[in-house]
Amino acid sequence: MREDDVLIGALLEDACLTLEQLSRACAVPPQWVIEHVGEGLLPAPGESPSSWRFSSRDLVRARQMLHYERDFDAAPELAALVADLLAELDEMRARLRRAGLE
Amino acid sequence: MQFKDYYQTLGVARDATADDIKKAFRKLARRYHPDLSKEADAEARMKEVNEANAVLSDPEKRAAYDALGRGYQPGQDFRPPPDWDANFEFSGPGSAAEAAGFSDFFAELFGRMGGAPRGGGFGRREARFEAQGEDHHARILLDIEDAWRGATRQISLRVPRLDASGRAVLDTRTLDVRIPQGVREGQLIRLAGQGSPGFGGGAPGDLLLEVHFRPHARFRASGRDLLVDLPVAPWEAALGSVIPVGLPDGSSLKVRIPAGAQSGRQLVVRGKGLPGSPPGDLELTVRVVLPPADTARAKELYETMARELRFDPRAAGGS
Repeated sequence: MREDDVLIGALLEDACLTLEQLSRACAVPPQWVIEHVGEGLLPAPGESPSSWRFSSRDLVRARQMLHYERDFDAAPELAALVADLLAELDEMRARLRRAGLE
Repeated sequence: MQFKDYYQTLGVARDATADDIKKAFRKLARRYHPDLSKEADAEARMKEVNEANAVLSDPEKRAAYDALGRGYQPGQDFRPPPDWDANFEFSGPGSAAEAAGFSDFFAELFGRMGGAPRGGGFGRREARFEAQGEDHHARILLDIEDAWRGATRQISLRVPRLDASGRAVLDTRTLDVRIPQGVREGQLIRLAGQGSPGFGGGAPGDLLLEVHFRPHARFRASGRDLLVDLPVAPWEAALGSVIPVGLPDGSSLKVRIPAGAQSGRQLVVRGKGLPGSPPGDLELTVRVVLPPADTARAKELYETMARELRFDPRAAGGS
């Protein structure tokens, strides 16, 4: 393997994705993100949409919500509730892992 | 290429109504949803279910599939006749990107890319436009050692490519990817330009890899903190000692155990977890391990302790 064949992965740090990048990563129009932030279903990471910066975690949450909205015709609020519960589940699993129980 | 029976995948009859299909899809989507499903092949099954639903829930695709698939059995060798889709119009978005996540069978049938319409159909969309390609998402399983040191990993991707007739075919592409040091579980790694190709000269999308760690025999990771059990002998815990602790790269550091450390006591070594800025901590949990009393001498030592220490571990707890 030649060194120049290797792609260098960039780590997405916290608060790094713009509105456009988040929308593209979810394959939705920016309006979908703006509405979900407006309704409090996604965190509002900054003052105005042009200054918003989303984290990896926000992206995972947005994609989860999108799946539930599309797969089950879920209302956005219900999709957000499911995403909240999944986040809680992840947190519990992380605590189990910390305690060496999983 | 084998014929896929989408009706069988969703468990519905060929004359199922749109409502029946929606219900069957939701039932299976719940069962195989990768966020929760305990079934071993949930992710693969969910892909099949999504693919079947993408066809059967779309009246245009379903009609074309029904017309084409008449007489075929699941698994039977299948090759669509040239221009079979000349009389169907597909107006659904993103069929090429959609095809990347689905089977060759789907790509062959419905993976025509935007901007390259084929003749024959009525009212086909001829509009040219420029758009950035879609981002792709994938999971990558790493060992904690990879996060500690950084690593190069090989990833296989299915990538749609436009053939001479304007149809998307799926190629398997292998990428060698450098995983940066200090990556955390759940974090995303972006490979710029490795997603779907752009349309009409637009830039390609990115590939986003979601990092997950394989279970490790010794270490657990929490963010950048590394957690590890530290087995100690009773005298090391009682008297205090300096103990070497192996790190994921094979090196070790010496940790001072304070005298009187009980089992379960946590010790934190700042900055010795996964690298980063700031680096994580190394959290050690003391586990006192009893030597077995399996020889006469060992039994005598325990009996001496019992006699001379007069220790009642239940005195304070009242149990």
